[in-house]
Amino acid sequence: MKGFSTKAVHGKTLRKDPHGALRYPLYDSVAFEHESARDIQLAFEGRKPAHTYSRITNPTIEDFEQRVNLLADSLSVIAVSSGMASISNIILAIAETGSNIITTKFLFGNTYSLLETTLKPWGLEVSYINMEDTDRLRRSINAKTRAIFLEIITNPQLQVPNIKEITRVAGEYSVPVIVDGTLTTPYIFKSKDYGVSVEVLSSTKYISGGATSVGGLIIDNGTFDWEKCPKLEDSVKKYGEFALVSKLKREVYRNLGACLSPHNAYLQTLGLETLSLRIDKSCSNTLQISEYLETCEKVRSVNYPGLKSSRYHEIAKAQFKGKFGGILTFELENKDMCYAFMDGLKLIKRATNLNDNKTLILHPASTIYCEYSPKEKKEMGVSESMLRLAVGIEDVEDIIEDINLSLAGI
Amino acid sequence: MIIKVHGESYSPEKESTTILDLLREREVEMPEMVSVQLNGNFVKKENFGSTHLKESDEVEFLYFMAGGDR
Repeated sequence: MKGFSTKAVHGKTLRKDPHGALRYPLYDSVAFEHESARDIQLAFEGRKPAHTYSRITNPTIEDFEQRVNLLADSLSVIAVSSGMASISNIILAIAETGSNIITTKFLFGNTYSLLETTLKPWGLEVSYINMEDTDRLRRSINAKTRAIFLEIITNPQLQVPNIKEITRVAGEYSVPVIVDGTLTTPYIFKSKDYGVSVEVLSSTKYISGGATSVGGLIIDNGTFDWEKCPKLEDSVKKYGEFALVSKLKREVYRNLGACLSPHNAYLQTLGLETLSLRIDKSCSNTLQISEYLETCEKVRSVNYPGLKSSRYHEIAKAQFKGKFGGILTFELENKDMCYAFMDGLKLIKRATNLNDNKTLILHPASTIYCEYSPKEKKEMGVSESMLRLAVGIEDVEDIIEDINLSLAGI
Repeated sequence: MIIKVHGESYSPEKESTTILDLLREREVEMPEMVSVQLNGNFVKKENFGSTHLKESDEVEFLYFMAGGDR
């Protein structure tokens, strides 16, 4: 198996189903029975490959993890309850009080909130820089830097950082690079090939197959020597290259209760099978809509890496194999115009999600960034006149007609 | 030769036994998923065939139960 779609459909099943079911079954069970007291002891100690309790492991979740591992060509994968759980778990696994993470203010609003309001009071230091400024990145790294964290395509600013350049600089200082690949998935961007250490993503988006379920993934690409991470010293001695996954599975993930529901793992395994088809369609739709919006007089500007007018077009073209994602933003005259436009839509839904099968619209400043001051919103590249369109897989003519009619009414 | 596997005494069939031999001899479940510790230290998969066991060695076969080959 070489092709992404073939791998996505056939997967790599470790344990044959006792009935030969072609679709790996949903084991919606909390607990698993063992033959003897010694057997359950060995399972708890990790000395036997047996499931014990679904907060820790579950056959359906394991099957989902194996499939993602095959697609990402990674060392190991852990499925978690949400994209935010993937970010919080990885940071808590590698960072400690007094250590620091280098990131950017071009982040998903809840990620920024996690760093600023949840983790900072516990003693984590966070440096915000412009990821396009590699000199500043060099100057920001110090002995207490535990990771560089960034999004592959930032949401909603749609900045596309040069990942190879960032991992090259990080490599000089032996600092791991963690990327949020929610908007790309391993189909568009294979982070391992760019030297990324760990990819986290919200599988709620593209992978869930149409907003069926909430989930997240932590993908260890196996490219970073965890011996360089002080918090993982003991784990490296015992578990070598699997230091991160053992730290998560045997402590952080287990203790935080970050488990994915088996039912969600089943749905997301179905989603994986059609991932490439849906991404191809949504990317094609988004490009056509962005080109249409550029011709509309009432639209002040359009931001999409697929447009030649985007300052990120060339780097996006090089990194993403000609696909530029399913999200665009555009600006109208002001907030009132944005609201009027949203309220005039008939087909496009007013909702906060990305990469649903349906096209969704959102006014970021008043929703996912509502808790931030005007100054903070400006720093995060979110304006009051910006709308975010997360494009689905409908017929593009119908989406454009809906936009056209609503624009005509404002 | 007596070694310990999962804390219990065990005598391998041959005197000259590698970790790979032991995995086969004990019919360790899902060998592609197992991580091996020898005297508390991690052994890389590529060294399974060249790491010879000696008297009193302590061996652990461990599983993380996450997605990925070992």
